[in-house]
Amino acid sequence: MTQQTYKSAKKRYWRAFVPIMILYLIATLAGSAFLQTFDVEPTWLQATIALACTLPMVYYLFVQIRYFLETDEYDRLIQLKGFAIGAAITVSVIFLFGFLQMFHVIDRIEVFWFGPAFFVAYGLSTYALGGRQCLP
Amino acid sequence: MKNIIRALRTEHGWSQATLADQLGVSRQSVNAIETGKYDPSLPLAFAIARLFDKSIEDIFDDSTAKKLAAE
Repeated sequence: MTQQTYKSAKKRYWRAFVPIMILYLIATLAGSAFLQTFDVEPTWLQATIALACTLPMVYYLFVQIRYFLETDEYDRLIQLKGFAIGAAITVSVIFLFGFLQMFHVIDRIEVFWFGPAFFVAYGLSTYALGGRQCLP
Repeated sequence: MKNIIRALRTEHGWSQATLADQLGVSRQSVNAIETGKYDPSLPLAFAIARLFDKSIEDIFDDSTAKKLAAE
């Protein structure tokens, strides 16, 4: 345990978070704008842009897990509880919507929205467990 | 687990944030430990004891553990 464990973990998190989000915004906005310039978008280009939009999120998850490992033990406990509750809520919702779709109660929904839904559930769970101070 | 961290901290004239900085943890961690909401790990308990120049048993009330051991 070092003197700066908690503070340096937080600093390291934010130093990575801001560029990742900028990159994500650029990839999604520029990518979708670029695709609209085609009458018929080539599949390889759509796939490449989809991958370019996904990679910052994959790196963000790595940053998030690194934060869990570097922060202090109480914060780690709150974060991991929040993460687990957020995942449990999201998976439950996925099952519910999956069955509703299978039984033709609802139309198809975009799978993409489960990603942001997870982060909302995780954030709210963490806030409920530890208050505002426990958000990274 | 009950403890006397709040009393020791006040005795030294430290805020929760000051103690947290010295231990390398967050202020919320200090608050959670002081209020008994969270039991620190052994390394953190040793760090707290060392900081106040006391033994772990002097700071943390292990009466529940003692009761369990006696049963």
